[in-house]
Amino acid sequence: MDLTLGAEEWQIVDSAAQFLAGAYPIARLHRAEGQDRADGTALAAMGWFAIALPERLGGLGMSVVDEALVFREIGRRLGPVSVLPTAIAAEVAARAGTDALAGTLIRGEASAALAVALPGQEGGFMLHGGRDATHAIRIEPDRATLHALQGASIDPRPALDKSIPLGRARLGQPMIVLEDGAPYRRAALALAAMQSGLAEAVMAMTVDYAKLRVTFGRPIGAYQAVRHPCADMALRAEAARALLLNAAVAVRDGLEGAAELVEAARAISHDAAIRNADDSIQLHGGVGITEEHDAHLFMKRAQTLGQWLGSKRAVLDRIAAMAVA
Amino acid sequence: MDFAYSAAEEAFRARARAWLAANAVTEPRPTEPEAAAAYDRAWQRTLHAGGFAGLSWPSAYGGAGLTLFEQAIWYEEIARAGAPGLNSLSIALSHAGPTLIRHGSEAQKAFHLPRILRGEAIWCQGFSEAGAGSDLAALQTRGEIDGDHIVVNGQKMWTSYGHVADYQELLIRTEPGSTRHRGLTWVICDMRTPGIQVTPVVNMMGEQHVNMVFYDDVRIPIANVVGGFGQGWGVAMGTLSVERVMSFLADQFELIEKIDRVVALAQSTRLDSGTLAGNDPEIMRRLAQARADALAIRAMTLVTLSKLRGGAEIGAEGSMLKLYVTTVYKALSALVLEILGQDGLVYGDDRHSNRWTYDFMWAWVLTISGGSNEIQREVIADRLLELPRAR
Repeated sequence: MDLTLGAEEWQIVDSAAQFLAGAYPIARLHRAEGQDRADGTALAAMGWFAIALPERLGGLGMSVVDEALVFREIGRRLGPVSVLPTAIAAEVAARAGTDALAGTLIRGEASAALAVALPGQEGGFMLHGGRDATHAIRIEPDRATLHALQGASIDPRPALDKSIPLGRARLGQPMIVLEDGAPYRRAALALAAMQSGLAEAVMAMTVDYAKLRVTFGRPIGAYQAVRHPCADMALRAEAARALLLNAAVAVRDGLEGAAELVEAARAISHDAAIRNADDSIQLHGGVGITEEHDAHLFMKRAQTLGQWLGSKRAVLDRIAAMAVA
Repeated sequence: MDFAYSAAEEAFRARARAWLAANAVTEPRPTEPEAAAAYDRAWQRTLHAGGFAGLSWPSAYGGAGLTLFEQAIWYEEIARAGAPGLNSLSIALSHAGPTLIRHGSEAQKAFHLPRILRGEAIWCQGFSEAGAGSDLAALQTRGEIDGDHIVVNGQKMWTSYGHVADYQELLIRTEPGSTRHRGLTWVICDMRTPGIQVTPVVNMMGEQHVNMVFYDDVRIPIANVVGGFGQGWGVAMGTLSVERVMSFLADQFELIEKIDRVVALAQSTRLDSGTLAGNDPEIMRRLAQARADALAIRAMTLVTLSKLRGGAEIGAEGSMLKLYVTTVYKALSALVLEILGQDGLVYGDDRHSNRWTYDFMWAWVLTISGGSNEIQREVIADRLLELPRAR
């Protein structure tokens, strides 16, 4: 039993952080164009489309714990979120035996957007991430569905989080349907990891600001009206981090209760990201609502990720069903 | 990272489980204070005979010498077996004993430690006062040196088990004119010493759980000073933090067990709408949230234990856990009252009249005692976040 990071795990964190600082600085998101090009080659060189994919399927054969550590850094630094759908699409393609497709996804020559079903519209989806995506992946708790986007008509929509382009599309017959919960569990851990990293980042940013910003002759971090929400943010971030690691280890090692831990990690990380991003803007005061500050970028990312892989309500419904069973 | 217990830890679990199956007391703890104390002492004698007394204490002092993770396993197995907690012996075993091991003289250790382990000595805490609760350093009870005795005058407050205790860990101001953390001394107070008067405080649940203790020229031998004159603050606080993390293990398992009971309650209780509470999505989502929070609390504890075993100093982890456990417990208790409707309003000033409603009110005891949640946020802001201090 040891839930602290080992030396190799710290190495994964450090190299991810270093890569993101160079290739995806947060400053890029303030520029007018604001979007991440689907520059798959650099990400593929890092191996990020296949971290937790077994070697026999063409992956790096690392664990979902290692993968979660990378996604935490992506969340912390507002990195390229489309790594998630592309990585899951590669797994689905590989498991379905379409090795050539899996290979192009892993090498960054093809990429997948995340397909989120639009309520009340049969076959209607909002595609997240990847204006140049070649595929779309829909991830449900017990199934993953891969669509080719060739020939699909996509109606681009302006996006709240400009780094995640949106497009409405009608998707026809899928090319692969995998009736299996494994892709969801892996995607859920990656999503919770991004949310937990984001929750930590905005907490740290806010605490730093509270030490510097002076009002009424004192740093605002000396006022309990600021200290106490900072303490709550720290608690949310730590709860999300601890439960994510616990859930990831449980999935990696096939432990009893892993499915519930994954859903619980999603619920806790979801709130940590959304509520910490909210408190961060509030505690920054006026500057917190300006474009030039980063606070709104984290809020927009938290809101967007909050609708990936289904609502928090659905997550809680699954936990409740497990508690009754 | 790994989440598996070692072979030695699994072997310990098997041994603990088998022992508890054969020896755990199953009859309920009586409510009358003297009978309850006798029940606690008897259970402690059983634990001692089985080698499970003083879980964290080194074996050199007669303790079980368990590792942190073995202690965690023990608390899990206690909850699983439905075995009693330490109750009136918790201060003796979880606080007074460890404090004496760390700061006590050889004579003090030789006299007190075996008595604590055998369940012969109930201890209470004499730290808080009416004007010094969360702000403990404001305490005023004073001790003046007279020959080889300290003469104590003043008043303590919120003393749990003061009415049945044999000894008290008493924190007093021994340097006249001193303020705050300076000039305090930690002494062992024999509760039978003349001049001590224990007066019960009736709480809002209608029970006598805590006491006021009055000291009128109480003469305590100087030999009972622990850790030296003026060192009381460090002695009192030194044992608090690690013990706090461990003590929350029991609270956590209680929380998880309570969530299960509330799920069962929801499945058998109708709301005023006529719907079974267990079929109401909002109620079930709030229960699911509590379950997710409980799993997060458990994960945070395992992370903290991992860090401690790796040699890290404890920081604000205990404060985070207390803040989290008590907040979730309170939300859960409020949900129970919503589920119960009219039945939640039936209460007869005694926990047996309606345990759910009693627990609903008990939630405030948890969010206030042992450092209120506001104080826990201050500790997190100071120690973890290193924000500038207002005080």
